[in-house]
Amino acid sequence: MPIDDTIYAYSVARIKALETRLLDQGQFNRMINASSGEEALKILSESDYASALAELADIHDFETVLASELKDTFNLVMKISPIPELIAMIALRYDIHNLKVLFKAKYLGIKSDLLIPVGTYDLAKLEQAVNEDDFIYFQDKLRRAAVKITEDFMVNRDPQVIDLILDRALYEELILGSRENRSAFLENLFTRQIDLINLKTLIRVKRMELGRDFLKTVLLPNGSLSADRLAAMIDEPLESLISMLAISDYADLVSEGVREWLEKGTASLLEKLSDDYITTFLKQGKWIPFGLEPLVGYLWAKEIEIKNIRIVLVGKINKLPAEAIRERIRDVYI
Amino acid sequence: MEGIEIAMLGVALAVGLAGSGSAIGIGIVGQSAAGLISEDPDKFGQTLLLQALPGTQGIYGLLAGFLIMQDIGIVGAEVVELTASQGASYLMASLPIAIAGLSSGIYQGRVLSSSINLIAKRPEELGKGIVYAVMVETYAVFALLATILMLFGIDA
Repeated sequence: MPIDDTIYAYSVARIKALETRLLDQGQFNRMINASSGEEALKILSESDYASALAELADIHDFETVLASELKDTFNLVMKISPIPELIAMIALRYDIHNLKVLFKAKYLGIKSDLLIPVGTYDLAKLEQAVNEDDFIYFQDKLRRAAVKITEDFMVNRDPQVIDLILDRALYEELILGSRENRSAFLENLFTRQIDLINLKTLIRVKRMELGRDFLKTVLLPNGSLSADRLAAMIDEPLESLISMLAISDYADLVSEGVREWLEKGTASLLEKLSDDYITTFLKQGKWIPFGLEPLVGYLWAKEIEIKNIRIVLVGKINKLPAEAIRERIRDVYI
Repeated sequence: MEGIEIAMLGVALAVGLAGSGSAIGIGIVGQSAAGLISEDPDKFGQTLLLQALPGTQGIYGLLAGFLIMQDIGIVGAEVVELTASQGASYLMASLPIAIAGLSSGIYQGRVLSSSINLIAKRPEELGKGIVYAVMVETYAVFALLATILMLFGIDA
C-alpha cells in the first residue's frame, strides 16, 4: 500500500480505549438472570449507557436509547477515522435499510417507525427524495436502483422487488468501493456477508418452493460461493448442501443453523450463527496496530452489543425464560 | 572537498538521520497516545514514558556527532588539518548510527504505538510493552558502539 499506515495510530488507540467499555459476557449474564425488565435495565445503567438511560421515562422506550447510541458510535468512528469514506461504506447499509422502509411506506402504506438515524444521507432528505421521486443527489448506483424501483413498481406492483433491487445495489456498490479503495479486508468482509445472505436466500426460496429460476434472479453476485453452485442445491436434500460446504468456513453454520431452520421452521439460530461468524472474522483484526480493521471491528461490536441488549430487554419484558434468551444472545467481540 | 568538509558531512548524517528516526518514532507514539488520552486522561504519565523511548536514537546520533566534532576541533580550540582520506574515515564512522538510528527510531515508535494499545486495555502490563521496544533499542546501541570503535581507530 502506498499510503502511510501510521495515519491510523490515533484512531486505533482511541478505539482500544473505547473497547474496554463494551459490555462483556458477564454483564449480559447478569442482565439475563435479572428478575424483571426493570432490574435488567438497572444493571445496564451501571455501564456506559448510564447517562442515556437516566432520561428514560418508560422501559418500552429503550429503542430510542439504542438508536442514539448507534448513531453516536458511527459519528465518532467517522470523525476519528483518517479515511472516513471507508467508514461510510459500512454505514451505507443503514441508508439502504431506511430506503426500504420509506419505499414500503410509500407504496404499501405500511406505517413504520423503524427508520434508523445512521447512514451517509440525512433522513429528512431521504424521505423527501422518496416522496417526490427526486433522486438527483443520490450516488450513481443508488439513484439507478431508486429509479428502477419506482418504474418497476408502476408495472408489477410487487413489493419484493424493493428489497431485491436495493440489496443488489448495496452489495455491488460495496464490492466495487472496496476494490476502488484497494481494501482487501473490506472486500473479504463484504464477500462473506454476501455468502451469508445468499445462504439464507437459498433456504428461504427452498422452503417457499419458488424454484431454481427464481432463486437465480435473487442471489447476489460476488459471493465466494458461486450462484450456480448454490442454485443447484435447491432440489437437493440438506445433506448435499452440508457436504458441499463441509470444507468451507460455513460448515458449522450450515449443519446447525440451516438444519434447525428446515426442521423447526425458525431461522433464529442461523441468524445468530451468521452474526457470530462475522464477529469471529473481525476479531482476527482486533490487534492490528495500524489499520482499518479495529475501527470496523468496533462498529460491529457495538452493533452486536445493541442487538444483544434488545434481545435481553425484549425477552425480559415478555417474561421469556432465561435459557431462551441466552440461546439467542450473540457472542461478544471482546 | 577538503578532509574537514567530508568529516562535517559525517556529523550532519549522524545527528540528522538518527534525529529523524527519533522524531518520526516519537511522532507515531504521540498520535497513539493522544488517541488513548482522549478517552482515558488518567494514563498520561504512562503514555509519556512510552513516548520518550524513541528519543534515544537522536541522543546517540548527537553523541556520535559531538565525538567527531571534538576530534576534528570544531568544538574547542583549533580546527585540525585533515586529509581527504581522514575526512572520509569520519564520514564512514558516522554511518552505522546514522542508518540504524533512522530505522530503529521509526520501528521502535511502531512497537510503542502497539504498547499504547496494550496499556489501553491492560495498564498493569506497561513493563512488557517497554521490553518489546527495548529489543529494537539494542540495534541502535550496537550501531553506536560500532561508530565509537571506528572513531577511536582513526588517526588524526
